[in-house]
Amino acid sequence: MGKKKCVAMLLAGGKGSRLSSLTKSLAKPAVPFGGKYRIIDFTLSNCTNSGIDTVGVLTQYQPLVLNSYIGIGSAWDLDRKNGGVTVLPPYSESSEVKWYTGTASAIYQNLNFLKQYDPEYVLILSGDHIYKMNYELMLNYHIEKGAEATISVIKVPWQEASRFGIMNTDEEMRVAEFEEKPAYPKNNLASMGIYIFNWSVLKEYLEMDDRNPESSHDFGKDIIPLMLDENKKLFAYPFNGYWKDVGTVKSLWEANMDLLDDECELNLFDHDWRIYSVNPNHPPQYISTQAEVAESLINEGCTIEGEVEKSVLFQGVLVGKNTVIRESVIMPDAVIGENVYIEKAIVPSGLNIPDGVVISASEEDDEIILITPEMIQGICS
Amino acid sequence: MKKRMLGVIDATTYHEDLEELTVHRSLAAVPFAGRYRLIDFVLSNMVNSDIESVAIFPKYQYRSLMDHLGSGKNWDLNRKRDGLFFFPSPLLDSPSIGIGSFNHFAANLDYFYRSKQEYALISNCFTVFNMDFRPVLDRHIMTGCDITVVRQDGRSLEMYLVKTSLLISLIENRNETGYTCMSDVVTDIHHSYTICNYEYTGLAVMIDSIENYFAASMGLLEPEAWKNIFLRSQPIFTKVKDEPPTRYVKGASAKNSMIANGCMIEGTVENSIISRGVKIGKGSVVKNCIIMQKTHIGENCVLDSVILDKDVKVESGARIEGRHEMPLVIRKGTVQGALMNS
Repeated sequence: MGKKKCVAMLLAGGKGSRLSSLTKSLAKPAVPFGGKYRIIDFTLSNCTNSGIDTVGVLTQYQPLVLNSYIGIGSAWDLDRKNGGVTVLPPYSESSEVKWYTGTASAIYQNLNFLKQYDPEYVLILSGDHIYKMNYELMLNYHIEKGAEATISVIKVPWQEASRFGIMNTDEEMRVAEFEEKPAYPKNNLASMGIYIFNWSVLKEYLEMDDRNPESSHDFGKDIIPLMLDENKKLFAYPFNGYWKDVGTVKSLWEANMDLLDDECELNLFDHDWRIYSVNPNHPPQYISTQAEVAESLINEGCTIEGEVEKSVLFQGVLVGKNTVIRESVIMPDAVIGENVYIEKAIVPSGLNIPDGVVISASEEDDEIILITPEMIQGICS
Repeated sequence: MKKRMLGVIDATTYHEDLEELTVHRSLAAVPFAGRYRLIDFVLSNMVNSDIESVAIFPKYQYRSLMDHLGSGKNWDLNRKRDGLFFFPSPLLDSPSIGIGSFNHFAANLDYFYRSKQEYALISNCFTVFNMDFRPVLDRHIMTGCDITVVRQDGRSLEMYLVKTSLLISLIENRNETGYTCMSDVVTDIHHSYTICNYEYTGLAVMIDSIENYFAASMGLLEPEAWKNIFLRSQPIFTKVKDEPPTRYVKGASAKNSMIANGCMIEGTVENSIISRGVKIGKGSVVKNCIIMQKTHIGENCVLDSVILDKDVKVESGARIEGRHEMPLVIRKGTVQGALMNS
């Protein structure tokens, strides 16, 4: 394997429990988003658009969908002779099976993967977030600052700061202190879970962390605090732009609705920073004579015979006659019958909603309904 | 059952009546149904019929066709063995004749010698259809015919199934026999070959003029028609573009239309076919139109019965109207100003 300047390690083994039944049989990075994509498309596209051509994808929880989706990486132009995408599942050694117990242990167990490329820098990413970011700019910043590790941060609203890992920095953006979910935050710069390490430093600290039986083997909880204790040069890299952790049903719905907003910073139509995805072969969408569509994002392969308003429809969705869909997200190949009313809901992939079903949240309740097959059975029985 | 048929696509055809759309591209590469090129139909049908080796014989302006086909990956034809072969004609001055020109094939006889497939399916490149060729082969073998012609209502669809060995001998002996192409053989009554017909009952439209290009496109808006062409079990493959889903903004409206990805619809679209990456500005009304890739229509325009080729810019306030029986064609890359009313 040829030497690489920077290799990315993408953590994609998360369960995303708060996404409920959406992640019952697939990992959070494989959850559909934005009418066409899966969450991981954003990070993989950022890599390829940033000129990073070597990406290790660490999988653990329900990897089948993710594995077959990533394939050999050709959708993101990551099918390369030297480098490209490599899926890295946990494996057994002669004495024991080693599950990834934390973000740091996942990387530690794949040090041999990194050693093949003898990189100068390692970029650690999470496959759980929706954002567009040029990692090359962050790497340049890391090099200019002479940092040993750089952590990407974003300003979050003060009232939400105690939900995040907060970086306290000096004027030069050097990190003085890291506080995980502080009750009384001193700052509102939240870690985005994106790190660049000098390879030699990363290797040293991962090996040290592995020897520590007290460690939870997590970058935020163990590696970063240890590096700060030892006075290593850690810098925060301020990111401005759209960034969303779609960790809950509500935030997943909100992030989809953001795409319908003219003011939204996440522009999917930017040809200079395309978001790549596996493209299934569907004909153009067909909007019938009776149909009405407004303020929506609709993918190929849809057939719309009803009314669709402020909604995001993935590929292959059918919407029957006299059906109304408002402020909802309809995932791939869902079939919505006739005379159906759906408001503020997420319909998961392939679900069949029979004629006449009405689903909407009550007025005072601002929760989003995640429709399940059981729910439909209950309504129809 | 696999590896029995070669696919041979004659992409040398030039129809004068389609000149407006073929100035920059070969007929095989003419855009159709919002995201396809004409060749996608026959090529996908071949792939869906287990054909794993396809030879394309193009002529004239084949840059866009090559760009579209690439390595054949989108049709799963980027194979170590067999796959997609591209044989541009070395005979640019030779006149255009019927489908399956033996002169063109002769320049690449090695392809036929080297192929192990026993049968060859020779087809034109300009038919819109979704057809399984395997039953044609079964019938051909069962009846023991030398040449099977695919027909619809008696009319030849210019697709022929023959043994590869017979095709080779027809090519080798073209000077002695005087046959220049497959249709010469089929229409001649003085030979000893048995000619059989295979009647195809599905939808098939041969595109050979602007009028029938327009009519076939508009016909696709009938659900019965598009359901006949776009089958989930036999998809029509095409070059993938990474366009986002199409966005309809507030005030947009669409009725009875086929709309591909990557469009931004701010105006009104009716009875139209809109290709990938098209923008339709606020207050604009697009009716009975075919709008090709990346064409931008400004605000408050009125377009009726117009075919806008790729990359056309229509300035705000423009009014362009053709007739339903004879639509107006606006050439690729042109700018249509508000004061240039046609």
